[in-house]
Amino acid sequence: MTGFRQAQSPDAPTPHPEAPGKRTEQLSMQQALNRALDEVLAENPKAVIFGEDCGRLGGVFRITDGLQAKHGEKRVFDTPLAESGILGMSVGLAMAGFHPIPEVQFDGFAYPAVNQIICQIARMNYRSRGTLPMPITLRVPSFGGIRAPEHHGESLEALFAHVPGLKVVSPSNPHEAYHLLKYAATRPDPVIFMEPKSRYWQKGDVDFGAADAPGAGSPAGAPTGAKVMREGRHLTLIAWGAMVSRCLQVAGLAAEDGIDVEVLDLRWIKPIDADALVASVRKTRRAVVVHEAPLTSGLGAEVAQLVTQGCFDTLKAPVERVTGFDVPYPSGDLEDEYIPNIDRILFGIQRVLEYKRG
Amino acid sequence: MAEISFPLPDLGEGLIEATVLEWLVSPGEQVERNQPLVEVETTKSAVELPSPQAGKVVRIYGGPGDKINVGEPLIVFEVPDNTAGIVGTVPKEEAPKRRVRLSAVLDED
Amino acid sequence: MMSGRHTGEQHSHTVEGTDPQLYVEVHDPEADAGLRPILLIHGFSSSSKLNWEDSGWISALLAAGRRVIAVDLPGHGRSGAPEDMDSYSPSRIRADLLQIAFDAGARPLRAGDPSSGLDVIGYSLGSRLAWEFGATQPEIVHRIVLGGPNMADPLAEFDLVAAQRYLADGSPIADESTAGLLKMAQALPSNNIFALLSLVEAIKGEPYDPAEAVPHMPVLLVAGEKDDRAASMPRLAELAAAAGSMAEQLVLPGRNHTNAITSRAFKQAAIAFLGS
Repeated sequence: MTGFRQAQSPDAPTPHPEAPGKRTEQLSMQQALNRALDEVLAENPKAVIFGEDCGRLGGVFRITDGLQAKHGEKRVFDTPLAESGILGMSVGLAMAGFHPIPEVQFDGFAYPAVNQIICQIARMNYRSRGTLPMPITLRVPSFGGIRAPEHHGESLEALFAHVPGLKVVSPSNPHEAYHLLKYAATRPDPVIFMEPKSRYWQKGDVDFGAADAPGAGSPAGAPTGAKVMREGRHLTLIAWGAMVSRCLQVAGLAAEDGIDVEVLDLRWIKPIDADALVASVRKTRRAVVVHEAPLTSGLGAEVAQLVTQGCFDTLKAPVERVTGFDVPYPSGDLEDEYIPNIDRILFGIQRVLEYKRG
Repeated sequence: MAEISFPLPDLGEGLIEATVLEWLVSPGEQVERNQPLVEVETTKSAVELPSPQAGKVVRIYGGPGDKINVGEPLIVFEVPDNTAGIVGTVPKEEAPKRRVRLSAVLDED
Repeated sequence: MMSGRHTGEQHSHTVEGTDPQLYVEVHDPEADAGLRPILLIHGFSSSSKLNWEDSGWISALLAAGRRVIAVDLPGHGRSGAPEDMDSYSPSRIRADLLQIAFDAGARPLRAGDPSSGLDVIGYSLGSRLAWEFGATQPEIVHRIVLGGPNMADPLAEFDLVAAQRYLADGSPIADESTAGLLKMAQALPSNNIFALLSLVEAIKGEPYDPAEAVPHMPVLLVAGEKDDRAASMPRLAELAAAAGSMAEQLVLPGRNHTNAITSRAFKQAAIAFLGS
């Protein structure tokens, strides 16, 4: 968390333009992201949006719908089907003073762009001793859950979190999507913005005047760090992106059995909010981390280490991981077996509850 | 429900506009994919444009004789939210189902 | 909509000892109405794709359960552009069309068999060819539909010398009709302009005289209200009627020679006429 603060722009964020009295609105995550991008374009003349089908079509998930018509073809435009080119162009635009907001249409399509992301974008600021910052917000519809074909259901958070110079964030609901994207798109550093595509259609209240909204004047003043989505006393479920809402369902079911589960939405995968992790698990003394990505070297390992480091003396059981399997992401009809489901998460909780010190 | 706008497509040969001859569908009508939508004329030929998708027609742009530029809106469809994506399907929101029950003696030490 | 199966190929059956290099597509409907196939003949400087596919004709005919044979004329669309002048003469083209129709499965008319014979739809130059084809092939042709038809072939009046001079050094063309036809021919980059001029030259050698051979099967004549090229359509109808044919006429309000082709009323009238 502290590391993140140092990276913030010294510029004060712009106050939110919503009129008083209309501070909360029910939106789908698609609409919330679209609203955020619309406002970013209006507030920052240097912001440009581009990607495959982002312009005229408005994106395959409608996230950039109507933005080209409103802001013009120079600010919202289509690119060839060439992810390396999309990110390579972002490097040049960032060097020229723009704030590129490229989209890679699906997680699996980020692989061809990894060279640009890791070899150029992540280290240009470092390489140039701070003279060439890379204010690039890369939107990536991510994770599984929509019965799509291969390369459309990957979880890349651990891959990108491992690269020095990148920030990685994933919203879990429309409110988070709006605020996190608005915030990410004002950062002076590259941010990989992982949108949980299975939650795009989920509706929820977006509180435009939230305490951690950029410019809200709260002590936080920015949607950084992790967020407790449900308070509990007995165990902490740690998740991000699409798994947060599933963990909230599990917490509801656990309550029927008398188990009081806290749900912590990491939001920022990098920098990871170790303070929030430790604070929660010091209280509950039990932790289960849930992610869609495969188990081995997944982000769950990082979370487990941070929790163990900060809570070793009070933990009642080792941190449990409930994750995808160590296989390529399966075809759509096997998705329900791969992605952690309610019962697998409940089993994970049960294993922690049953743990006996030998 | 979601609205999807279909712009006048690139008709090839470097054409930048077309003139509406006759609409074959009207607002409120349910159309199928590939159903003829409209006859348009360019400087080179007259063509019938098939519907890119199924949906209910919400709006049509331009009457007979009106010019429409390539890329400008031609027709707007209303489609169910769960067809708004192009790849995959929208997950159903279901009440959580469980088979596993938790049991624990929680010592509050 | 390309419903149903279709096959496309360069026609390779030799006629009069040479290969006409014509591109033929045969479209089969999903639900066959059991009626005879329909041969489509496009206009000058057009193609099966422009004249019949993009305009919605093929999908409309398939939806009506009709089997469709579409051919690109020599020098047009995906057909070859032979060097010899004879490949472009209307009589040679009619012979090629007959061979193509037979190869695609059309058989002579038999009383009481609705699947026997062939219906023909032609547009502009294609309507001239269809008129002559009907007149010369009464054993196979059941009914014909002529779009944008004319008593005289405007291509016969085409000023070839002026066109060739224009193509060589840009000298302006005095004759308005010639200039217009050449502009139309040049509008499509896929056109082989020299093959098209060969066609014009061949047509001049065999000018159109509809009175010389009149089809005796039912004829539907269709033209746009503003189609100057089809102003003589009523006289064609009179010719057909005088020869004892049933001749129907349809005028499409507001349409001209270019845009009559997409008209729904045209398609519906043709489908009804050929279906009865």
